[in-house]
Amino acid sequence: MRALKPVLFAILILTLSATSVFAANPNYLSVAMTTDPGTADVQKTTDMYGIPLNIYDRLVEAVTVKPGESRIVPGLAEKWDVSSDGLVYTFTLRKGVKFHNGETLKADDVLFTFDRMLDPKTKALNTDFLDMIAGAGDRMSGKAATVSGLKVVNDSTIQITLAKPFAPFIANIATPAGSIYNRKATLAAGDQFGLDPKKTIGTGPFVLKEWIVNDSCTLVAFPGYWGGKPTLDGIEMLVIPDANTQRLMFETNKLDVLDLDNARSQVPYFLESAKWKSQVVSGPRVGIYYYAINQSIKPFDDVRVRKAMQLAIDRKLLLDKLFNGRGSLENGIFPKGLLGFNPALPAIGYDQKKAKDLLAQAGYPTGFDMEIAQVTDSPSTLKINEAVQAMLGEVGIRVKIVQMDSATYFATRKTGNLPMYESDWSADFNDPDNFIYTFFSEKNTVARSYNYKNTAVHAKLDEARVMVDQVKRMKLYQDLEKIIVQDDAGWIPLFSLEHLFVVQPKVKNFKVSWNGWSNMPYNGITITK
Amino acid sequence: MIPGGALPGCRRASVQAEPYQQCRMRTACRLYVHACTDRPEEASHVKRYILKKLLLAIPVMFGMVFITFILLNVVPGDPIALMMKEHISPDVVARVRAEMRLDDPVMVRFFRFLWNALHGDFGISYKLNRPVASLLLTAFPNTLKLAVAAALVSWLIGIPAGILSAVRRYSFADNFFMGFSIMGVSMPVFWTGLLFQYIFAFKLGILPVAGFKGPEYLVMPAIVLGWSSAGTIARLTRSSLLEVMRNDYIRTARAKGLAEIKVILSHALKNSLLPVVTVMALQVAGLLSGAVITESVFGIPGIGRVAVNAIQNRDMPLLQGSVVLTTFIVIAGNIIADIMYSYLDPRIKYNKPGVSR
Repeated sequence: MRALKPVLFAILILTLSATSVFAANPNYLSVAMTTDPGTADVQKTTDMYGIPLNIYDRLVEAVTVKPGESRIVPGLAEKWDVSSDGLVYTFTLRKGVKFHNGETLKADDVLFTFDRMLDPKTKALNTDFLDMIAGAGDRMSGKAATVSGLKVVNDSTIQITLAKPFAPFIANIATPAGSIYNRKATLAAGDQFGLDPKKTIGTGPFVLKEWIVNDSCTLVAFPGYWGGKPTLDGIEMLVIPDANTQRLMFETNKLDVLDLDNARSQVPYFLESAKWKSQVVSGPRVGIYYYAINQSIKPFDDVRVRKAMQLAIDRKLLLDKLFNGRGSLENGIFPKGLLGFNPALPAIGYDQKKAKDLLAQAGYPTGFDMEIAQVTDSPSTLKINEAVQAMLGEVGIRVKIVQMDSATYFATRKTGNLPMYESDWSADFNDPDNFIYTFFSEKNTVARSYNYKNTAVHAKLDEARVMVDQVKRMKLYQDLEKIIVQDDAGWIPLFSLEHLFVVQPKVKNFKVSWNGWSNMPYNGITITK
Repeated sequence: MIPGGALPGCRRASVQAEPYQQCRMRTACRLYVHACTDRPEEASHVKRYILKKLLLAIPVMFGMVFITFILLNVVPGDPIALMMKEHISPDVVARVRAEMRLDDPVMVRFFRFLWNALHGDFGISYKLNRPVASLLLTAFPNTLKLAVAAALVSWLIGIPAGILSAVRRYSFADNFFMGFSIMGVSMPVFWTGLLFQYIFAFKLGILPVAGFKGPEYLVMPAIVLGWSSAGTIARLTRSSLLEVMRNDYIRTARAKGLAEIKVILSHALKNSLLPVVTVMALQVAGLLSGAVITESVFGIPGIGRVAVNAIQNRDMPLLQGSVVLTTFIVIAGNIIADIMYSYLDPRIKYNKPGVSR
């Protein structure tokens, strides 16, 4: 036993010397994330926007004005002009904007940031947001050392020239991917940019203070913020993978906001709980749930089969039973709240008889066997799939649900070989292009395993991208939407949903973001004592 | 049991069984090794044995790394497609794959990894963007704290429960303690974890739900995880103790007039702990390789979560690093178990032919 004593003592010390002590500041907002963001460099992630939205600013910002509605407002750029041919964008920068390191924002910083995204050395994932700039392709392929379309006019003016007109360009850079970095700090940080809190510099209302991988990120208010003193002293972002744990932490007051997207099974509980129902904050999300149909798999090459599938699914029932009716049915590609949304689209009904007739016409009077794919760790997707399995079963279509790990799922999907699957997409920026081009352009339709083939539509989509006349452009998009969904039955639209949160009573001024990101800027939220 | 006579490798013990037993009872093997190593090469045999085992670990580790590498390349999965998920863009995937040299042949990538690893560079995690070695080194102390605390809990529950059950066989205490320990094994940790969180954090509010910011954060996970392996320890202690209690020297001890408690604790228990210690060493090794579910439920940033995230994200460098680390831990656990064996039972030697280990 004597020999054991030092060992036991060492163990005790080890146990007690756990990590830093929780500094409970009453004016901190505590939120949860399900996984570690991995990087705060927004050029290297396509969905972990929690930190970037709060520590950086964009030239222009898309703010939520009303539930589900957004408006583009000046950010780091005070104003901007677009040339009449839609090619040249001139931004005048706000004066006196300071970075967290004390540097003043200059046009060169904007040039540096956008060039860095397209520099192959960066290995950026978000290049889609800037690849329409003239010379972007040459920069990405390493043929050029600079981007020809980026030009510093003077310290407060930057000119961006596009290769072809791209109407949604402004909306497109009002996304986290358009965040502006500081040349000096970013170069000095090297590969530690976005990782080392001290070296991750932006102009935003908060400064990244501490990052413990897989545990938490702490942001503190930036006193020199150009928009005035932030409303919070700081934000604590905790990494909590387990949904039940998140809920218990919320109920024990360790979390101030609970995103019910992360704890979907708890929605009925919170909606019915006397204590919490008045604390549920919701807002329509500009996004769409849908079933993708892979047309390269038989019998989905037959439009009659695809139409029968659209008719055989009782979408209203799914919405009511699985999502407490908190959303609205969609009949196209552009959901409610998105520019170009067409309320006049004919509704896709629920009609088993018509579905059976169509199947019989297509030569499948007794139905057929098919697969629906999904990732293994998504019980909420499984619920939808099981309901749809039963619905399709009623018209004779025998569905097998195939579950695979997400690595296999995404790798198979990329090659165009994934069977039918349920998924959702929410807006990065407010433009139909963000939906229709993402899904149905020639390359993307394969990369998402739709294999939708309609050369006329593909050509028109490329054409719409470069149209300058907005009215004509929206009209074209609505026509294409009708062809793809209603005539060709290219996919099965389901519904758009509300995004639900529960917040502690002390949290005031919490607005649900108009767009689809689960992350949001937190400046503006206040906490009452 | 050797009923007496010369004990291999120790001249002093070449008397009879009784003094040997006494020598052994004087607690630890270290004492025994010192007292009994008239032959100086004894200590160096242990060293040589450890060295041999460590050398053997190298091919094992190589094999593990190679197999994981190949397996992960055989199953479908593209780390870049995974990183982009819904935002997939075929051009970007192709470009970034090329930039990260993911399109090179499997063997080229494997040997590149091996070469770098031999130089101490395990690469950069695809998903977490940080050097693998630093990620693992940051996560390991957290897992270590959890593992040590959980192991202590399991021993504190398991050994007394085992003793009580053996001593008062078929009594209420036996049934109760065995039942209690078996319950721990039978209930999945995610459920026990949830239950504990509900009772102690939500209802009673005396412990934090999750996180890892101080010693109080360790209490629930350690109990949940420790309880889950206490049953094995308890059962093993019980059966082993029962077996030892039937021996002649126990009868002798009792005949000498020793108090029953002394008979059990100093004569029987030590001898019965041999198999228990082996299991303990392996258990700690297992706990150190990461208690994935416990770490997830209680939000502990440990090795288990790193490894699972690495698999889910096809994060090859991070996964390889985790494999190397856990293989090393398990091998080390085995070596420690072997050493503890000789420590507790000096008759077990590692240099003698015929004593198979």
